[in-house]
Amino acid sequence: MEKTNRGIAEKTHLYVMLTVFLLVGLVLSILIAVTIGSTRIPFNEVYKVILFRLFGVGDPVLYGTGALHDIVIFIRLPRLILAVAVGMGLAVCGVVMQAIVKNPLADPYILGVSSGASLGATLAVMLGVGTFLGSNFVGVMGCVGAFAVSLMVLLLANVGSRSNSVKLLLAGMALSAVCSAFSSFVVYFAHDKEGMMTITYWLMGSLAGAKWENIVIILPLVIICTLFFWTQYRVLNLMLLGDEVSITLGTDLTKYRNFYLLIASLMIGFVVYASGMIGFVGLIIPHVVRILVGTNHKRLVPVSALLGAILLVWADVLCRVIIPKNELPIGILISMIGAPSFIYLMARKSYGFGGKQ
Amino acid sequence: MEVMGNNIDVSYGDTSILKDVSIKAKDKKFVGIIGPNGSGKSTFLKCLYRVLKPNGGSVYIDGKELKHISIKESAKKVAVVAQHNFYNFDFSIEEVVMMGRSPHKKNMERDNAKDYEIVNKCLEKVGMKDFKGRSFSTLSGGEQQRIILARALAQETDCIILDEPTNHLDIKYQLQLLDIVKELGLTIISAIHDLNIAAMYCDYLYVMKDGNLMIQGKPKDVLTPKLIKDLYEVEADISEDKYGRTNIIYYPEHIKRGDKNENSNSSL
Repeated sequence: MEKTNRGIAEKTHLYVMLTVFLLVGLVLSILIAVTIGSTRIPFNEVYKVILFRLFGVGDPVLYGTGALHDIVIFIRLPRLILAVAVGMGLAVCGVVMQAIVKNPLADPYILGVSSGASLGATLAVMLGVGTFLGSNFVGVMGCVGAFAVSLMVLLLANVGSRSNSVKLLLAGMALSAVCSAFSSFVVYFAHDKEGMMTITYWLMGSLAGAKWENIVIILPLVIICTLFFWTQYRVLNLMLLGDEVSITLGTDLTKYRNFYLLIASLMIGFVVYASGMIGFVGLIIPHVVRILVGTNHKRLVPVSALLGAILLVWADVLCRVIIPKNELPIGILISMIGAPSFIYLMARKSYGFGGKQ
Repeated sequence: MEVMGNNIDVSYGDTSILKDVSIKAKDKKFVGIIGPNGSGKSTFLKCLYRVLKPNGGSVYIDGKELKHISIKESAKKVAVVAQHNFYNFDFSIEEVVMMGRSPHKKNMERDNAKDYEIVNKCLEKVGMKDFKGRSFSTLSGGEQQRIILARALAQETDCIILDEPTNHLDIKYQLQLLDIVKELGLTIISAIHDLNIAAMYCDYLYVMKDGNLMIQGKPKDVLTPKLIKDLYEVEADISEDKYGRTNIIYYPEHIKRGDKNENSNSSL
């Protein structure tokens, strides 16, 4: 008993320290990660290029053009910034989804998002649906599929009586089954081995497609949504207590649940568009952060956002360097390393949804 | 504050759960609802605290119909301590009590110094100040119920509804919780299982059976051996102690009522 009495409230200063530490850690991670890559570039050269781009300091011929400049500015940095956005988005959506369905097994993809995304991608790859959408039409279709399925889940859960956590989960499962069936149907009759490979790779997730023109939309969107959910900590906390208690505390959760789901789906849709399906981050980060700072969403949201971002930055670095001359799909790496570490954490602490169950 | 439920009907499908039940709690009175399991006590209270919509009848808070009050507003007027329920979350006790402040906060408003002050005061009122920093899941059942009471107090309402809050608590915590509540001087509406406790704390009693209101009145007038026999099919004796308090003694089947003189002398 005494061991589990961790006195969360007295750890307020610890929480502040942790947040500052993670914030500094994130900046440092980016600064270190940008010097690591398959092409060896001295780290002071890397920083000189960045300084030149940011403040115009230094020699424009040496640092404003050329291969060195292009690698840093158009390959490494966009990937890192995208990693930050994707990690943050997945972690925060994980937290929100777990609160919405009041279930610790939820991840950002739980409510049909993953199968919706893969159906969209499958249609794009196999049947060429949406080719007019530009070069990343597979991503766009994935995003559209994800968002469309979330909307349908929301509608389905509100049919008949008002939605609740269980109805949302059931609607998500039912629509997932429908979407995967259609995906399989398309794959089965397309007889397209190459297409199957493309889909499989896309589903493993990758940050390789990072481009500044995408980042300028995704990063602000993720940050704004994260800040929004941070302000909603009170309602998110109430969601864990359930509908009945929340009504006696003056909050009708149904409308919030629907609204949050919409925002989270939007975020996930964009993340899927930019990076495909990167699993496990949205499941593991919220749990790890609960072990660190407790269940209160006032802390859970910001710390998860920062930790998610840091995790993806480093996961992406590892993916690029772990196998020489080759790149490991980030989804594989995260599950391979993440799952065992999570099992370790679970075994070490008696842990269930932030308490003992 | 006065709380009134008028002609409340509740049914699930064809099954009628509550039939035309009316209850009134006058300002600063402790009103008890008693009755056997399944008599509709909790169902009625759920209508009062808006978790259940009655099929007929209406609830009034200070003369205003509940329908016309937002959920947020009613949570500032009526707080609830429900049957003992476990939350398996690692919220600290301050965080749980702080949730009682939510009806007073706008959507994006942050907790301020006044909220923390109120949380501290409420923790002190329920005698849990020394437990600050503990996480809710590490507390005993009695302590948890006191924290839930503190959360209700943090809502700063004039009325508290107790939905069998002392279920599963041992006698010390039952009395402790009700003592705290009684001291508050608020309007209290409580479903109570234990008739001795009902007699001890309530100013007024409503008796329910099979979804109907059977009888109402002061505990002394209401609680009779006949009523207890009708309600629970149990023989009982009711006496008054030297302070004028009601004592109810039950006689289960294995203790014959005819033996009661011998029985009252030897507890064996």
